Amino acid sequence: MSFCLDTYLQQSDDYEVLLARAGFKECAKIIKDRATEVLYINPGDKILGARIIGVPPIPVGINKDKGTIILSYTKPCHGTAAIELPVDEEEIENIRKIAIK
Amino acid sequence: MKKALILLGCPESPSQTPMAVYAAQKLEKIDYEVLVASTPAASKLLEVSDPDKYYIKNKIDIESCLDNLEKDQYDLLMGFVHKDAAASYFITFYHILQCESIALVFEKDLELLNEFTEMVEENTDAKIVSVKAFHNPTPLRVKFDRVLKDL
Repeated sequence: MSFCLDTYLQQSDDYEVLLARAGFKECAKIIKDRATEVLYINPGDKILGARIIGVPPIPVGINKDKGTIILSYTKPCHGTAAIELPVDEEEIENIRKIAIK
Repeated sequence: MKKALILLGCPESPSQTPMAVYAAQKLEKIDYEVLVASTPAASKLLEVSDPDKYYIKNKIDIESCLDNLEKDQYDLLMGFVHKDAAASYFITFYHILQCESIALVFEKDLELLNEFTEMVEENTDAKIVSVKAFHNPTPLRVKFDRVLKDL
């Protein structure tokens, strides 16, 4: 079964919400501020099986030392959140493959 | 028959549901097969407004729609943009589909209206209807009718 980000966020507690119910720009800023490396992807590109929603180029934060990434996560009625969650090295490499800069 | 996707945002703005019903009917009359993508709450409002599915014949959950969206799947994207998240969704759908698009941007706060309009303007080539509106859908409807004539 493939990984589902929605299910993961509902069933896990090892992620950190850095900002919630915010706008995309505020979340993009916190991603850039809180990550040691920032990659950029296009709207609709998939990370952890979920399409990432936002304004291009969408930043994805990489904190390689902590083994985490920081994503923007948008829902129609709840706005955008910036979420830091642990991922394995393979997922970071997958993000590098789709990164546009 | 051409295919149109109507993208609804959070249903808290009163103008969205009647305008969705109106737009679906207008598009159908100019030979579009219309699918409405929305949240479950927005979908319920449509179901109650149009119990016999006279105006809205096809609906899909916004997340399932996004998951399976592909370039050129639709000929027209029409989206309701009245929140920051709605602008992000519209821009994302636009970038995946890369088809002719109409954004109905509306807000009662002029500053937010300009902000959402700029977001769409800077990141898409969509035709934009930008109106200060909340309860009253008429200004939105009038400008939407004008855009429809150019399709």
